[in-house]
Amino acid sequence: MKLVLQLSLRNILRNRRRNIMLFAAIAVAVAGVSSMNTLIRGFQMDMMDSAVANLTGHYKVHAPGYRDDPSIQRSFQLTQDFTPDFPAADVLGWAPRVRIPAVIMSERETRGVQLVGVDPQAEAISFLGDVPLQGEPLRDVDDGRVLIGKELARQLETRIGRRLVIITQGADGLNRERGFRIAGIYDAEGTGLEKVFVFSGLRPLQDLLDSDAVTEVSVRLVDEAPGLQVRNVLTELFIDLDVKDWQELEPQAAAMYLFADGAIYIWFILMMSALTFGLVNTLVASVMERVKELGMLRALGMGKLLVVSQVVVESSIIMAIGVMVGLVGGYLIFLLISDGLDLSAFAEGVEMAGMSSVLIPVLQWSDFFLVAYLSLILGVLASLYPAWRAVKVDPLEAMRR
Amino acid sequence: MSEPVVECIQVRKTYQQEAVPVYALRGVDIQIHQGDFASLSGPSGSGKSTLLNMIGGLDRPDEGEVIVAGTQLSGLSESELAHLRLHKIGFVFQAYNLIPVLSALENVEFILQLQGVGGIQRRQRAQQALESLGLADMAGRRPGELSGGQQQRVAIARAIVTNPALLLADEPTANLDSGTTEELLTLLKHLNQQQGMTIVTATHDPMVMQFTSRRVKLLDGAIAHDEQPVTA
Repeated sequence: MKLVLQLSLRNILRNRRRNIMLFAAIAVAVAGVSSMNTLIRGFQMDMMDSAVANLTGHYKVHAPGYRDDPSIQRSFQLTQDFTPDFPAADVLGWAPRVRIPAVIMSERETRGVQLVGVDPQAEAISFLGDVPLQGEPLRDVDDGRVLIGKELARQLETRIGRRLVIITQGADGLNRERGFRIAGIYDAEGTGLEKVFVFSGLRPLQDLLDSDAVTEVSVRLVDEAPGLQVRNVLTELFIDLDVKDWQELEPQAAAMYLFADGAIYIWFILMMSALTFGLVNTLVASVMERVKELGMLRALGMGKLLVVSQVVVESSIIMAIGVMVGLVGGYLIFLLISDGLDLSAFAEGVEMAGMSSVLIPVLQWSDFFLVAYLSLILGVLASLYPAWRAVKVDPLEAMRR
Repeated sequence: MSEPVVECIQVRKTYQQEAVPVYALRGVDIQIHQGDFASLSGPSGSGKSTLLNMIGGLDRPDEGEVIVAGTQLSGLSESELAHLRLHKIGFVFQAYNLIPVLSALENVEFILQLQGVGGIQRRQRAQQALESLGLADMAGRRPGELSGGQQQRVAIARAIVTNPALLLADEPTANLDSGTTEELLTLLKHLNQQQGMTIVTATHDPMVMQFTSRRVKLLDGAIAHDEQPVTA
């Protein structure tokens, strides 16, 4: 092996200029792939966080049929002292809600919205917990004022302190209406949330609907990994109710989430495949330049395996050096953009994709290792054809050249 | 007489050159014995290089048998032939054929590395081989930094460092001037006489033939003369 390494290294040094260009090409491609991966992961995590924080949570409990017909009729009771027995370390929190469609009217405009009765303290698990707010937040579960989104306020041409009339259907199927004063206006970075969600204290809304039930319980995990255990607890607690995870509740976001996983591979294959052709070409050229020498080595008694090993090791060394430099470059690019890329110029587009307007890259070391690992495999694969050419060298023919 | 190191029995080889058969060897019978210093001479196309390649296991006869150091070559696979070349035969080529990225010492060591000889022993033997050929001072130089004669001496050091049963040299002096040729031939003769090394060389050069103890002349793929002068 030492012999093979020695020959391979010396051969790499023999064509310094050509190999430096090759190292540079590999390094640029790897840096591009690895830094792009951090953006894809950032996009993926942002999308998941947005989907989960979007009042969805990692898991949600509904009455059967609620998702098709969201109304107070499809609700369920929570006992006064309801406290689910979740593994404490796994769960960030849970929140009971009443969420129903409603019509909201200002003096000038009318809009259809989702009216959500919440326990403000429990809403630390949703975007409501940390959303920038003008005015006052809801004080508690008994607060009879509303929070509306900035965009909705603009559309309704209203402001903090003004009253809005909300019409919705009560538990008895009859329409109910009530005036709510605006406590605050939240700014969800121009996302669709601002237009849709109107928040009030849970109890005033239950009073309006003439019901003490809730339509959902949302659970947010610390980390998605141990989710199954939590799901089992919920399934046992809420027999006959639907327990769904965020991927079932937000299938579009889930599909995009999975697509991002695939995109990492697709991006890698596109970039590195193009590069691999360059590597194959260089290695073939290197082999063809050394035909006479390879013939002599074979004539002296060098086995085919050693000839193959020499080319494979040469390719692997070139790839390994390029990959190492590329990963360092990728990491530096990550550091450079770690504050995030401002996508506000494309606000409409990113809003549609369920993302926030600043894309924060996320570094997962496993992605770096994946790039390194796959690149080295490509390096070996790229060397197979040149190695085959090297083995096919006939010593006699080669030395006659 | 001792067992022959090389025995060729009715060796025939025909090449196709644009559909025209070229009879390179037409039933050659020859035995090379331990301690022989034989030259294979003859005009271009006489078959001397082909015969040398057959003996070296680099080419296979269409008919006949080649036996080297007691091993019948016809039944050997490519890797077995490579193994035989590595362990039994030393090669010296016309164009030196050293590995340009390795120093003189590494070029000599290289063949021992292929044989799996350990590091310290390998280095000692390689240094001894270079010293015996007067190249101790050149050990660290790469082929490009050596003259033609020095490169060919390194090639000989590489060929003899494994103590092969047979040293094959294909036109070893073709690229050398007469002074260097004489030096090199003196060296080969010394190896033959002092160490009893069996040497077969293909050559055009009358000076080489003068140095050899046995002169085999080929013509049209057959042995025309095979003489062993009393004095070289």
